[in-house]
Amino acid sequence: MVANTGLVAGVTAIYVVVMLALGYIGYRRTKAAEDYLVAGRQAHPVVIALSYGSTFISTSAIVGFGGQAANLGMGLIWLTVLNIGLGVLVAFVVFGKKTREIGQRLKAVTFPDLMGKIYQSTFMQVVSGLVIIVGMPLYTAAVLIGGAQFIKETLGITYATSLVGFAIITAVYVIFGGLIAVMYTDAVQGGIMLVGMTILLAATYIILGGVTTAHSALTAMSSLVPSSLAQQGMTGWTSMPTLGSPIWFTLVTTLVLGVGIGVLAQPQLVVRFMTAKDNRSLNRAVMVGGPFLLMMTGVAFTVGALTNVYFFQTQGRIALAVAGGNVDAVIPIFINSAMPEWFVVLFMVTLLAAAMSTLSSLFHAMGTALICDVWGRGRECALSLKANRLGILIMIIASVIVAFMMPGSIIAIATAMFMGLCASAFLPVFAVAVYCRQPDPLAAKASLVTGAVAWFLWALFVNARYAAVFGLTKAALGKASIVGFPWSAIDPLVIALPLSALVIIFLQVVRNPRCGPEPQPQ
Amino acid sequence: MFGIPDPQIWIAYILCIALALACIIYGLLYWNREDA
Repeated sequence: MVANTGLVAGVTAIYVVVMLALGYIGYRRTKAAEDYLVAGRQAHPVVIALSYGSTFISTSAIVGFGGQAANLGMGLIWLTVLNIGLGVLVAFVVFGKKTREIGQRLKAVTFPDLMGKIYQSTFMQVVSGLVIIVGMPLYTAAVLIGGAQFIKETLGITYATSLVGFAIITAVYVIFGGLIAVMYTDAVQGGIMLVGMTILLAATYIILGGVTTAHSALTAMSSLVPSSLAQQGMTGWTSMPTLGSPIWFTLVTTLVLGVGIGVLAQPQLVVRFMTAKDNRSLNRAVMVGGPFLLMMTGVAFTVGALTNVYFFQTQGRIALAVAGGNVDAVIPIFINSAMPEWFVVLFMVTLLAAAMSTLSSLFHAMGTALICDVWGRGRECALSLKANRLGILIMIIASVIVAFMMPGSIIAIATAMFMGLCASAFLPVFAVAVYCRQPDPLAAKASLVTGAVAWFLWALFVNARYAAVFGLTKAALGKASIVGFPWSAIDPLVIALPLSALVIIFLQVVRNPRCGPEPQPQ
Repeated sequence: MFGIPDPQIWIAYILCIALALACIIYGLLYWNREDA
C-alpha cells in the first residue's frame, strides 16, 4: 500500500522541521570542540538513556532483525536478554561509570582518543580509528538500507531517492549541530520509537486474536518450515533450532552473541558515557534504558516471528515467501498490508527516527575518527570544528556508496559483522583500560591487532555467510569457505574475541602484573 | 506458556522482563549515589 501522499508529506515535513530545529539548537550551543565531540559533558540522564537506546536500536534491529525473527523464529529473543543485561546493566554500571571518570580526567573526546590517552599510545588511537573507518560503513550502510527500504515501500518513490534523501537530512543536523544536536534529536526520536513500537505490539496481538492465540497459531505452523531450513536444524518459530545445527550456530553465535556482546565496545555508544556530568546521571539513565530496549528489540523480534501467522491466515503463505525471499522486506510488507494508514505513517516516522538516531551517531563517530584520530591524532580535535565537519561529510558519502553496493537480506548480517568486529578488536583493550591500574601498551597493541586480524581472516575465508558477502574465497577457490561445517558456521567473534582476550591477559600478566583496580580515595 | 511450548523461548521472555525490572530498581536505588 502506498500511503496517502498528503498525510505522509505533512507528517514527514513536521518531523524534518523538528529535527532541523533541534540541529539548529545544537549548532547554537556548540562553542568549542568539547561541545561538538562530547556534548559539553553536561547531558541530562534521560537524554543519555534515550540517545544511547535509540543509537543502539536502528532500522537494522527493527527491520533487519525483525525479518530474521520472521525467518528463524522467536529464538532471537535471547538477543533481547543480552541487549538489556549486557547492553544496559553491564555497559552502564561496569563500564560506563569508569569510562566517564577516566574520560573526564584525561579530557578524551572520542573512543580512539580515550584508548590513545589511557595507553599513552598514538598507535592505539590511530588503529582504533582505522578499525572504525573500515568497519563502521558496513553497519551504517545496513541502517541506511533498512530506512530506505521502508520509505520506498511507503512513499512509492525509487530506492535511490529514498536512500540519498534520507542520508542528506541526517547529514545536515549532524554536520552543523555536532553531538549536542545528535543527542537532542536522538531523545525525541527515542520517544517516537517507544510510541510506535508499543502500538505495533498491541495492534499485532489484536489482529491475531490475542497473545496466547497468536503464539499457539505460530506453534501450529511448525510443519510449514521450509525444507531447506528444516534440514539445517530449524524446528519451528516458537522453538529453538536443534542444538549444534547450522541454524543454531547462526542464531546463537552470529545473531545473539555477535550483536549481544558486540554492543559493549561500540565506539559510538561508549562516547555517550563521556557526555554524562556525573555517575548519578548514568544510574538514572539505566532506569530508562532497560525498559526502552525491551520495548524495541523484544517487540521487533516477537512481531517479526508473528508475521508468519498473519501472512498464513491472509495469504496462505509464510512471511519469507510473501517477501520473495528477502528477509529485510518482511516487516515493511507486514506494516503496509496489516496496519491502518495512520499507523503506516506513524511507523514510517518511527523507522525514520530509529534510522536517523543511529545514523547521526555513526556519522559523527566515523567523521571524528577520521579527522580527530587518524588524520589529526588528537591535535585537530581541538583545533578545527570545520575539519571534523568535513570528515563527517566524507564518511557519509562513503557509507552511501557502500549502501548502494550491498546485496539484499544484508541488514542483520552487516550489523552482526560490525558488532562482532568491535567486540573482537576493542572489548579486551577497553576492559583492561578502564579497570587496570597500569595498563600495558604493548599488550593492548597486540590484542587490538590480533582481534581485528583474526576477525577479518575468519570472516573472509572461514565463515561461509560472511565470506559470501566479501566474495573473496568464492572468487579465489570457487567455494564458500576454506573449511567445512561446523567451522564454516561459527561466527568470527567466537574465535577472535577469546584470542584477543588471551593475548592481552597473557602479556599484561607477564609484563606488568600490577593490574588491580585503581585505589579508591579515602 | 502463553502458547509457547519450548522452555528455551519462554524462559528468555521471562529473563527480558526481569532484567528490565532490574534496571528500573537499580535506577531507583542508586538515584542519588555518586560513587562508581
